Amino acid sequence: MRAQFVLSEIGIGLRRNLTMTIAVVVTVAISLALFGSGLLIRKQVETMKDFWYDKVEVSVYLCGQASQEPSCAGQPVTQEQRDQLLADLRATPQVEEVFYESQEEAFVHFREQFQDSPDLVENVTAEALPESFRVKLRDPTQFEVVAGAFQGRPGVEEVQDQKALLEGFFNVLNKMQLLALIIAGVQVMAALLLISNTIRVAAYSRRRETGIMRLVGASNLYIQLPFLLEGVLAGLVGAGFAAGALVALKKFLIDDQLKPTFAFTAFVGWEDVLAILPWLFLTGALLAGLSSFVTLRRHLRV
Amino acid sequence: MADAPVAWVFVIRLDNVTKSFPTSTRPALDQVNVDIDKGEFAFLVGSSGSGKSTFLRLLLKEEIPTSGKVHVAGKDLSRLSRWKVPALRRSIGCVFQDFRLLPNKTVFQNVAFALEVIGKPRHIVDAVVPEVLELVGLDGKGKRLPNELSGGEQQRVAVARAFVNRPMILIADEPTGNLDPNTSVGIMKLLDRINRTGTTVVMATHDAAIVNSMRRRVVELEDGKVIRDQARGVYGFAG
Repeated sequence: MRAQFVLSEIGIGLRRNLTMTIAVVVTVAISLALFGSGLLIRKQVETMKDFWYDKVEVSVYLCGQASQEPSCAGQPVTQEQRDQLLADLRATPQVEEVFYESQEEAFVHFREQFQDSPDLVENVTAEALPESFRVKLRDPTQFEVVAGAFQGRPGVEEVQDQKALLEGFFNVLNKMQLLALIIAGVQVMAALLLISNTIRVAAYSRRRETGIMRLVGASNLYIQLPFLLEGVLAGLVGAGFAAGALVALKKFLIDDQLKPTFAFTAFVGWEDVLAILPWLFLTGALLAGLSSFVTLRRHLRV
Repeated sequence: MADAPVAWVFVIRLDNVTKSFPTSTRPALDQVNVDIDKGEFAFLVGSSGSGKSTFLRLLLKEEIPTSGKVHVAGKDLSRLSRWKVPALRRSIGCVFQDFRLLPNKTVFQNVAFALEVIGKPRHIVDAVVPEVLELVGLDGKGKRLPNELSGGEQQRVAVARAFVNRPMILIADEPTGNLDPNTSVGIMKLLDRINRTGTTVVMATHDAAIVNSMRRRVVELEDGKVIRDQARGVYGFAG
């Protein structure tokens, strides 16, 4: 096999077919960029889960002066109820740790949390905030067990799972991921058809050459390889643009925009982006290679 | 293959070959038996549609016979696997009426192309191509493009390309069909010279003058049947 010959054939093919080649590169780039974004969003959800599930707690709010819940019976929680609840929480196997937060401590936390909104802090007193048990679970997904056991018990106003607040956010992210992957899928279909058509046009425009090649006994591989590599090359260039888009997304959207604005949470790191890039190139090459191969089998019979 | 020594007497053997196409009621070839010896020069004559081209395409395994067997160089083509077809075609050179040169390649590149695509290294190409260009009488014209040459010269390039790999068999499908009589004689002399190097030549033609002047073997086809097979024949029944 003479590499120089094959390479010059590829060059001729790509030049002859420049508009179609550009179309292939663009579609592959868009589909792979969306595919990569989908993977990145999934990674982002995982990163946030790792970050937050360590921190989320189940809050068991106890009855206060103004509680309306039937389990409170219009009275604040008694010392007896409080001791009983604490003992039961500690006896629950799913519970790792329990902290008690008094109304005063809650008020301190509240003031810290809303230090940027002095008006709000002014209008709230310690009595208005409920005392609570902060429960850390061994497995944050086991919330239902704890909630089921303590919701509605005398002296308990409400059992609240912080994880539920995050779930809503994760749902949005998961839907974005799904959307990105669906659009990527449609683009992949378009890319496959475009590649197939490009190869077909290329094979047709070079039927004179391939006819002579067949006649003088060139092997299948020798006849088909330039076309196949043309497709793969276009796929790889498309993957290159997609990789660039992903790096730009990380740099300009995540690092420059989202990170400073949402400083309280974790974002995907460069190592996550770098881990996705090889997959883009592999997918691009396989996508183009396979569709070229199938097309060639149909249109370049020997 | 077990039958190889026997079959080698005939470089080409068609054994009761019938070829039918699904779109036609009459077979293109009908129970054809033809043996061609190694080193022989054979004309295939007959009117258009008599089956000459199908005959030649069977030798290249571009078509597969409906029944019967085709042997080339001792090999039964029906038992030749797909990936060995290129090797078969390397042992057969082809020349056509329409030359089939690549218009954007020079004479040298056109001939070199046949070697490059079967993976021959550069130094062999550089050594062999000028040799064969000299043989066909085109020395010094290697840098010309096909459209700068006369029809006869273009056909010489095609012959050079067919012969550059020193095939055992040269197939020519109406090689003089587009050429004037004088130029045709030149091409026939060239094919004759190639035949004298030991290459078996099978040539399909309509050209009675050429067939009559060469006095070589003539196989005449009509409606897919061999109606005449003469060792030193002429075009019509006159001789």
